[in-house]
Amino acid sequence: MRTAGLMHQRTLPGGCPLWLIERPGAGILSAKLWMRGGSSADEPGQRGAAQLLAGVLSRGCGTLSGDDLADLVEGSGAGLRCEAAEDGTLLSLKCASSDAPSLVPLLLQMAQQPWLVPDQIDLERQLNLQTLQRQKEDPFQLAHDQLRQLLYGDGPYGHDPLGVEAELRAVTRDQLQQLAGHYGQSGAVLVLAGEIPPNVEELLLAGVTGAQWTCQPPPRRSGPAGHNKPAIALCNDETEQLVLMLGATTTPLGSPQALALRLLHCHLGVGMSSRLFVALREEHGLAYDVGVHFPARLGDAPFVFHLSSSSERAGEATTELLQEWQRLLDQPISEAELELALAKFRGQEALGRQTSSQIADRHALVLGHALPVDFAERSLAQAAQLSPEDLLAAARSLLATPCLSLCGPASALRQAEAVWQRHRLSQ
Amino acid sequence: MPQPLPEPQRHTLSNGANLVQIDLPQAPVVCLDLWCRAGSACERPDESGLAHFLEHMVFKGSQSLDAGEFDLKVEALGGNSNAATGFDDVHYHVLMPPEAAPQALELLLDLVLQPRLDGDDFAMERQVVLEELAQSEDQPEEVAFQELLRQACGSHAYGLPILGRREALEAHNPAAMAAFHQRHYRADRCCLALAGPLKGIDLESALENSPLSRLAKAEDLEPIPRLQLQPGSTRMELPRLEAARLLMAWQFPGAADQDAVMGGDLLTTLLAEGRRSRLVEQLRERLRLVESIDLDLNVLESGCLVLMEAVCEPEHLQAVEQQVRRVLLELIEQPPSEAELDRAKRLVGNGYRFSLEVAGSVAAMVGNSQLWGRHHNLQRPLDWLTHWNSERLSREVIPLLDPDRAFSLQAVPS
Repeated sequence: MRTAGLMHQRTLPGGCPLWLIERPGAGILSAKLWMRGGSSADEPGQRGAAQLLAGVLSRGCGTLSGDDLADLVEGSGAGLRCEAAEDGTLLSLKCASSDAPSLVPLLLQMAQQPWLVPDQIDLERQLNLQTLQRQKEDPFQLAHDQLRQLLYGDGPYGHDPLGVEAELRAVTRDQLQQLAGHYGQSGAVLVLAGEIPPNVEELLLAGVTGAQWTCQPPPRRSGPAGHNKPAIALCNDETEQLVLMLGATTTPLGSPQALALRLLHCHLGVGMSSRLFVALREEHGLAYDVGVHFPARLGDAPFVFHLSSSSERAGEATTELLQEWQRLLDQPISEAELELALAKFRGQEALGRQTSSQIADRHALVLGHALPVDFAERSLAQAAQLSPEDLLAAARSLLATPCLSLCGPASALRQAEAVWQRHRLSQ
Repeated sequence: MPQPLPEPQRHTLSNGANLVQIDLPQAPVVCLDLWCRAGSACERPDESGLAHFLEHMVFKGSQSLDAGEFDLKVEALGGNSNAATGFDDVHYHVLMPPEAAPQALELLLDLVLQPRLDGDDFAMERQVVLEELAQSEDQPEEVAFQELLRQACGSHAYGLPILGRREALEAHNPAAMAAFHQRHYRADRCCLALAGPLKGIDLESALENSPLSRLAKAEDLEPIPRLQLQPGSTRMELPRLEAARLLMAWQFPGAADQDAVMGGDLLTTLLAEGRRSRLVEQLRERLRLVESIDLDLNVLESGCLVLMEAVCEPEHLQAVEQQVRRVLLELIEQPPSEAELDRAKRLVGNGYRFSLEVAGSVAAMVGNSQLWGRHHNLQRPLDWLTHWNSERLSREVIPLLDPDRAFSLQAVPS
């Protein structure tokens, strides 16, 4: 693999690991502050709090009001995003490196000294509630939310990071304050990539007043678990197509069988030569969009086939999709297929490291999972040692009991459900 | 200081086909991007959806490549490929590790310029295109945008769906598609762009005797008329809509006037990018009438389209429309301040510089420009940017956004 750039490790006072990846030339700086504790850390009754808090961080912090901060960031033509995902909250800054001195100090100020102005909390909450409502227009979102329920129930991965309407309405400022106080305590890591200013540590700490930010490197600890029992859920919607999502809960990034699943993901869902694309789209014309969703997670990550097909072909689509899943459990992939999957895995690793922002992002993800810094290189080397039998064993131990989520018109739901009931995966 | 931007190297083959290359020694991949003036606006009335359907069929193989063989070869080499059809043009792009780029080039030219268009594949792929159409029709927002364009653009091709009409798709056959390909995929209507670490790639000799060098020039083609957007308004009820929409469309000068395109970018940024932009600040942050408000400049040859989308509760639609109007009229009355303009310039300038980090977007930019006979280098847009000032914006582009020049559509849940 090509070197991503010269890398240095430092530690900020208080304990936050700081990684600097030098990529001179383009005049761009990208910074990612990843803090463990995303939507999966939402307390029962407060689902949506982590995302709400993330959204409010840039609405006033340190010595800057929300307007001041927006003037500073937008006035420099920079990009700033604060978002909670399942496992962590990510603050991303991208700017011209010449603007770094005025912008870099914002990162720790947002994490440590957010204002949490009630009026701004209300605005952000209202926007999140509206987004939750609007997302219901999308049948893929409906099927996905429903699958998430089947796989994780009311567990930590069971809700959209935006939250659950009634609970999001009830989150208080005190609760957000408390949550903000915990930032860094379960682990945080800061990664800067691009043209790094010489006095970067000083800049990072500039503007932060009071006690230093007590923080630890993210510990290696496994995240939330999922259910593993076949189940089906139906969502009746007057659409033309039926959306099908078939998925199971599997294993964390970096766990022993995760790499075998990653290769199965490449085999099944990456590129136009992938198994699902060829079998369902090219050979049967059943779908335009078909693929596999397998995000990196601290806990039992979902592994999901998704497909949307005309209602009148609901039975055929369900049959073919279930057959592809069953095939994973019945027979090993060929040596040639494994070779292709490996090429795709390598290709994806290279293509995912084109910009400073992508490099910082990948690095923060790996360190946030408390994996070794050369995790990507190690994975490439280990992947080359895996055999088709290893992949089959991983499938059998992790994919044996998938759940099916359907969204579409009643007639299509009936056809699809009948196929599921007859299939051995539903037993 | 940032390094100077790399210069595009241009070359025209004896048959008129265009090449443009840009060396990015630091990039981890090479992007090969083949552009052709064969978008949906080239379709005759009975050819609805054919440009896009052809883009699908291209991947079904050529004289020498079986269906799926191209994807398999490219992906086995660690690359990937995709394509996109627009109103004006279509392009096919491949991202490859540098050492495999020459091989990818040969495959790409064969695939795109000598498609096989087999009858059985055609019937199967039609199903896929119909699924794509159904999928987009299940997104009520897309239905609303399509209706906006249909009513705003009158009889112009920009008012018709790129995916095509269902009945037309059902009636198409391989012969008609081959005729479309033959008519539009011609030497002087194609441009090949390469961006990435190009050391060691001898493009000109690689292209000798390639399908690109064997193309003939185009014969007389009907010119595509200039867009004439019709101002007006309409209201529609849509099933499955959860939030109301106010959509508006305005016409701007065509892509040939790149300086005006830059002015349009500045204007849409000033109005709707970031919390301190006028529309976002007034409608979302202060009055809290919308969940979001977006304004985008769509760069098109026969006339650019500025499209606005505001998402709100149905009971706020009237107020949203009034406020949008107010903000726009205020801007027409009162030129933007220096600070406001500077903010917009930095956002646009950085957005542009950030996009240069990726070989794929560099190839797309230089390829598209070259295709339409625009020969500026990568630095030039940044120079145009510098020359805009508040007074000139007020004179040349702000009046184009007059609410009375817009077509607006209100969509409410039924």
